[in-house]
Amino acid sequence: MNKENIRLRVNKRDYQLEIAPNRLLLDVLRQDLGLTGSKRGCDDSSCGACTVLVDGEPQMACLMLAVSYQDCEITTIEGIACEGQLEPLQRAFCDEGGAQCGYCTPGMILTARHLLAHNPRPTDQEINEALSGNLCRCTGYVQIIASVRKAIELLEKQESGVAAAGQGG
Amino acid sequence: MSLPSFEVVRPRTLEGALEELERHGPDAQMIAGGTDLVPSLKQGLFSPRVLVDLKGVRELDFIRFDREAGLELGALTTITRLAQSPVVAEYFPVLQAAAKTVASPLLRNMGTLGGNLCLDTRCLYYNQSAFWRESLGYCLKKEGTVCHVAPGSSVCWAVFSGDTAPALMTLAATVRLASPRGEREIPLRELYVNDGWVRLTKRHDEILTAVRIPLSSAGWKGTYKKLRIRNSIDYPLAGVAVAMRWASDGVCQDVRIALTAVNPAPRLVEAAARLKGKRYDPSLVDEVAHEAIRTAKPLRTSASTMEYRRHMVRVFVRRALNEVWANGPHC
Ligand SMILES: Cc1cc2nc3c(=O)[nH]c(=O)nc-3n(C[C@H](O)[C@H](O)[C@H](O)COP(=O)(O)OP(=O)(O)OC[C@H]3O[C@@H](n4cnc5c(N)ncnc54)[C@H](O)[C@@H]3O)c2cc1C
Ligand code: FES
Ligand code: FES
Repeated sequence: MNKENIRLRVNKRDYQLEIAPNRLLLDVLRQDLGLTGSKRGCDDSSCGACTVLVDGEPQMACLMLAVSYQDCEITTIEGIACEGQLEPLQRAFCDEGGAQCGYCTPGMILTARHLLAHNPRPTDQEINEALSGNLCRCTGYVQIIASVRKAIELLEKQESGVAAAGQGG
Repeated sequence: MSLPSFEVVRPRTLEGALEELERHGPDAQMIAGGTDLVPSLKQGLFSPRVLVDLKGVRELDFIRFDREAGLELGALTTITRLAQSPVVAEYFPVLQAAAKTVASPLLRNMGTLGGNLCLDTRCLYYNQSAFWRESLGYCLKKEGTVCHVAPGSSVCWAVFSGDTAPALMTLAATVRLASPRGEREIPLRELYVNDGWVRLTKRHDEILTAVRIPLSSAGWKGTYKKLRIRNSIDYPLAGVAVAMRWASDGVCQDVRIALTAVNPAPRLVEAAARLKGKRYDPSLVDEVAHEAIRTAKPLRTSASTMEYRRHMVRVFVRRALNEVWANGPHC
């Protein structure tokens, strides 16, 4: 099979790669770019462990042909911490026990990030629905919901901090 | 699991996509969101030499509502966009209800309407790895000679398991098909063949470009009921769509009921006609719900039993009609 020269934009960095057209984005991320945060859980497109953000929207990298996503902005779990600081969702998952084995966590966090970007104050039902494509075999989901709630709190604090700073200045 | 070898071509226009399909003939297969096709490729169910990736054909991604022509949905509209469309929610509630149940939020972000309507039929003996299928001597749908759910049958009983098709059928939707030979528009129900192997009347080189819902279906009340083990992710084990229009006195002027996941094709329930011109009456609803079972022929194509699926068709028809009609005026 002929390889193709492609350009991928991942976590705001551009990569030039030579890959076969039947390579899945999940494998390219993990094997070629060394970004092993995205996991292969089921490989039959049901668990969400391979979730990445495509132009901000959570999608499954185990279903994506890498050559078909050259025009997109891809974000993996490695791309959300800012200047060495954990993102509020990451912080909250640590604090609330939202991660046990951690296999589902990158997908959970990316999906939750999309939810909070569009709906900063979701109800529990809305959180449940948004995360219903991401399976967890460890936590029983209770701590995951608690983590998302905690992240909302952290984000609100951050915002009011910024607002207060803004007023002060 | 790894994918077989293929090339991927990425046309930017409908014309370009049609040219690719013509150039590669039977070696080519279309891919949109890939949520149905990629798992099947992993299982070795298809071995195309070329994948024609439709995702770049942006002209097929639109939702247009015209007060004369009705609603037009481009084939590349994702299920998420469909479920979130205010026009769909306001005028075609049965379609919104069905779209919201498709797979999971992640899969709805990827899956398209065109792919949802052209979904391959599914069966316990078909959607398995090559190793699994080989150990059973394959099946009628793929490489074998025997249908394991109905040995002796000359047709394949794999079920059509899409959720939006029954909803669109209750709204009398049509689909537009484009090929190098030109364009044609057919009622959605004529897209399907009740044989899990033949599946579609669409030819190999025809692209489903759009779905049209006539204005006369706008404003019909409707709902969708779906049987699945988990409340997310799972394909339907049975699905019932109901859409109805009543007069201001609550008399049913027109109604359609469609079933999915219980036959190789989505099907309209003829017994729905008995409700026309009638006022809400629970016993009449029961009668039609009972009759609907005749339109459902589920076999052992899934992990659930056919008795349960058939029973739930009756329960869902009753529930859906009650929900839609009992809340009508003067009832
Ligand atoms: C775990 C899982 C659960 C699922 N659950 C459900 C469910 O509950 N309900 C449901 O309805 N679906 C379900 N699906 C299937 C799927 O996600 C959706 O049906 C989706 O809308 C399919 O669209 P797609 O664009 O991804 O299709 P693709 O995989 O890209 O294509 C599907 C088929 O249609 C053909 N095709 C695609 N677009 C066109 C076009 N424009 N013209 C002609 N042919 C075309 C392709 O060649 C292919 O044969 C599930 C899938 C998975 C993996
Ligand atoms: S690995 Fe992609 S959904 Fe499970
Ligand atoms: S923490 Fe183990 S799968 Fe979720």
